[in-house]
Amino acid sequence: MKVPRAFRGIMQDSSFPSFVMLVLLVIVNAVLQPGFFSFQVFRMNFMTFTPLILVSLAQATVILVGAVDLSIGAGISLVTVVMASLMQDSPLSIIAVVLLGVALALFLSFFNGFFIGTIGPPPLIMTFATSTMWFGTALLIRPTPGGHIPEAYYTIYSRTLAGFLPVPVLILLVAVAFCLLLGRTRSFRHLYAVGGNERAARASGINVTWTKIFAFLVSGVFVALAALCLVGQTATGDARSGQGFTLNSVAAAVIGGIAFSGGKGNYVGAIIGGIILGMLINIIYFANITSFYQEFMKGVIIIVALLFGAVPRLRRELAQR
Amino acid sequence: MGTAALPRFPHCEGKPVRMTVLEATHITKSFVGVRALSDANFALRAGEICGLVGANGSGKTTFARIVSGLLMPDGGELKLYEKPVNLRSHLDAERFRMAMVHQNLSLVSEMTIWENISLGREATGAMALLDNRAAVAQAQAAMETIGVKIPVHERVKNISPDEKQLVEIGKALAKDPRILILDEPTASLDFHQVESLFRAVRQLKDHGVAIIFISHRLWEVAKICDRLVAFRNGETVGELDFAVQPREEKLIIPLITGQEAKEVVRKRSSVREEEISRHAAGGVALELRGVSLPRRLSDISFRLRPGEVLGLGGLQGQGQEEILMILAGYLKGYTGEIFVEGRPRALRNTRQAIRKGIALIPGDRHKEGLFLEHSVFSNLLYPKVSMHRGSFFLPRRRFQKIATEAIDSMSLVPPNPRLVVSQLSGGNQQKVVVGKWLALSPRILLLNDPTKGVDVGTRQNLYAIVSRLAESGTSVILYASDNQELIANCDRVLIVFEGRIVKEMTADEVSEEKLVVSSLNVEHTGEKAPEPAEGRGA
Repeated sequence: MKVPRAFRGIMQDSSFPSFVMLVLLVIVNAVLQPGFFSFQVFRMNFMTFTPLILVSLAQATVILVGAVDLSIGAGISLVTVVMASLMQDSPLSIIAVVLLGVALALFLSFFNGFFIGTIGPPPLIMTFATSTMWFGTALLIRPTPGGHIPEAYYTIYSRTLAGFLPVPVLILLVAVAFCLLLGRTRSFRHLYAVGGNERAARASGINVTWTKIFAFLVSGVFVALAALCLVGQTATGDARSGQGFTLNSVAAAVIGGIAFSGGKGNYVGAIIGGIILGMLINIIYFANITSFYQEFMKGVIIIVALLFGAVPRLRRELAQR
Repeated sequence: MGTAALPRFPHCEGKPVRMTVLEATHITKSFVGVRALSDANFALRAGEICGLVGANGSGKTTFARIVSGLLMPDGGELKLYEKPVNLRSHLDAERFRMAMVHQNLSLVSEMTIWENISLGREATGAMALLDNRAAVAQAQAAMETIGVKIPVHERVKNISPDEKQLVEIGKALAKDPRILILDEPTASLDFHQVESLFRAVRQLKDHGVAIIFISHRLWEVAKICDRLVAFRNGETVGELDFAVQPREEKLIIPLITGQEAKEVVRKRSSVREEEISRHAAGGVALELRGVSLPRRLSDISFRLRPGEVLGLGGLQGQGQEEILMILAGYLKGYTGEIFVEGRPRALRNTRQAIRKGIALIPGDRHKEGLFLEHSVFSNLLYPKVSMHRGSFFLPRRRFQKIATEAIDSMSLVPPNPRLVVSQLSGGNQQKVVVGKWLALSPRILLLNDPTKGVDVGTRQNLYAIVSRLAESGTSVILYASDNQELIANCDRVLIVFEGRIVKEMTADEVSEEKLVVSSLNVEHTGEKAPEPAEGRGA
C-alpha cells in the first residue's frame, strides 16, 4: 500500500489510533444524540467535555514525565470546596477567590511534585496518600455539598461570547495556546527525556528533580482550570465532585496514546482522549442504556479504545515475524 | 541557564598546546564499603590521546565518572587547566568544556537523534523558546564530523546499537569539548566504523583536544593512543609512552593482569580436525538449507559438525545476529529448512530451541541474559527450572548441586550463590550468563558477541570454557564484532554480507586482512548485483 510520506508521518503518530476512534465516536454520537451538529448541543457538550479534557491534559503531563497523579480528583474537590466557602458577591471577591483557587491547585500539585522529585517515593503511592489528605481536608471544611457561588460567576460559564464562542470553548483555546507555548520550552523537552530514560536525562546534564516538579506544576495549571470550570458547572462546593476525574483522566490520557511508561505521547492525544471519554458518557446516556450497565459499558469501550491503540504495535510485531 | 554563554577560560586558550589540561592525584572512592578507587593518578595534556586500560572492576569507569562530574570523589585532588576544581555535577564539568561518551548509553529512545544531541543544552531564541532549526543544524554538523549518514530526524529507537553508539559520540562532539572522555566507544562498532571514529578522533587531537580513550580492545589502544595508563584494583599501576615504547599488546597485558602475558597457544588446525572428525561420527550437528528471512537474510546454508567452532564474521548488522536469533527461536517467519542432528526441525519459539539443545548466550547481558536483582543461584537455574518436567515440586537439593558445580566450573568470584547478580562485577556477570546454560549441557552453543565490554582475563576464561566444551563435542557458533576473536577461536569462519554468506575460510586461511577484505565483499562485485540492503525502519 502506497501512502504519501506526510500522511505516513501522521499515521505513525502516537495519537493516530485515538483519532480514528474519535471519528467513529462522532458518527455514533451524531446518530444517537438529536441535533448533534446544532450550536446549542455543541455548547452543552463542551460544558462537560472541557473539564474532562483539562484533567486529561493534567494527567498526560505527569504520565509523560514517568509519574502518575491519583490526587487530581481530590485536588479539584478541595479547590471547589474552598472556593464555595470563601466567595462573596462582589467582583473583587470573585477575582480574589479565583486567584486563590488557582494558587491552591498549584500548591497541591507542587506538594506532590516536590516530594516525588526530591525524595522519590513511587508516584502511585505518594499521590494516593495525598489524595486521601485532600479529600479529608475537603470533608472537614464541607461535609455536605453547598457553599455559595455568586450568580455572576456561574452564569459566565454557560455564556456565549460574541455570539459564536462559548466560554468553555474559550477556556479550552486558552489551554491549547498554553500547550503550544509550552511545547517550545526547554523544560518541556526535558520532561520527555526524563520520562523516556531518567538515567540518560541525568547523564545529559538535565535537572531531573526540577523537571518532575515542573511537570506537576504544569499539571496544576490544568487542574486549576478544570476546578474553575467545575465550579461554574455545578455552582457548589462538593468534597466528592472531583472523585470521578482521577481515573477518568488516566483513562483519557492512555486512550489518547500517552504511554504509561512515560516519555511517549503528546497533548493532541490527550485532548482527543478527553473528548473520546466525554463522547462515551454521552453515547451511553443517549443510547438509553440502563444506568447499571453504564459503568460496565464504559469499561468495555475503554478496553476497545486501548486495543485500537495497540494496533500499530501489534502490526509492527507481526511484520517482524 | 544560557548554553550559548559558555564561560571563557583565558588560561586554556592561546597557551602552548602541551599544557596539562587534566591532572588527578590520589583519587579515592568507595561505594557502600566497596573500594572502587584506592589511589588513582592520571594526567592528560592538550592534543594528546591517552588510553586508560584495566580489567573489569579496576575502576576505569568510576574514574571517568568522577572526572566528568557524575560522581564526587572521597579524596584526592583534581586539577583542570592547572587549577584545582571541585566538580559537583555533570553541568559543572561541561562548563570546563569536558564531554563524556557513555558506555551505558545516555540516549532517550523515544526522541529523535537531533533532540538527543541537543538534550540538556538546547539552543533557545526569543523569549527562551526553543530554536529547533539551530539544534538540527548542529546535530547534522556533529554527525558529519564522524562521517555518519543517518537522517537526524530518525527516532533513536529505530536505529541499531552501533548507530546509537555513533550518535552518542556525536552528542559529545556537539559540545565542542576541550577534554573528551570516550568510555568504550568501540564496544559495538565494527572495524569499518572504528576506522571512521579514529579519523575523527585524530582530527580532534590535531585541533588540540585532549582525549581519554577507555577500551578493552588492546590493539585499538595500541593503535591510536599516544600514551596509556593502566589501572588495577583501583590503583594506577603503570604507564606506557608510545613515543619511546613500541606499540605492542604484549607490553599492555601484564599491566592489566599483573602477570606476564600468557601466549595463548592455538591448537594446530590439523589437531582440531582430528578432534572434530572423532565427534563427527555422530553425523552433522546442525544444518541450514536455504534459510531466508524477508529483507534480512537470503539463502543461508551451512553445516555445523559436532565439536566444531564456527565463526560468523563481517561488518556489523549484516544478518549474523538474525541467524543466531532464528536458531535460538526468537525470530519467526523464516523460510528454508533447519536440521538438528539430521532431523528437520521447526524452531518456533525459544522453548523448542532449548529443548533441542540449542542455547544462546546474548551479547547484551543486561537485557536478555540476566535477572539483575535476583541471586546467582536463581539466575543459574532459570533455564533448568523452565525446562523442568515431572514432579510438581522442584528438586531443590539437586538444583543446589548443579549451581555449585556451575559456579566451580566458571570460577565465579566470589563463589557465593546467594549474592545478587547486580553486585557482581561485569566480567563475573558474564560468567553467570554462560554458566546458566551450561547446566542444561547444550549440544549447540550460540554466542552473540559474548565479550562486549569484558576484560582480557575474563575473555580468556570464557574462550577457555568454550574450547573445553568444543573438545567434549558441543558445537559452537560464534558471532564476534571483533575479528581477533574469530581468528583466535574458530575452526571455520563464514563471512556474512547483506544477509548472504559471501565467503568461507578455514582456520588456516583466516587472517585480519582477509577478514576485512571479504567483509567489504570487494572480491564479489560483478558476480551478481547484491540486493539493496533494507535493514531497518520496517
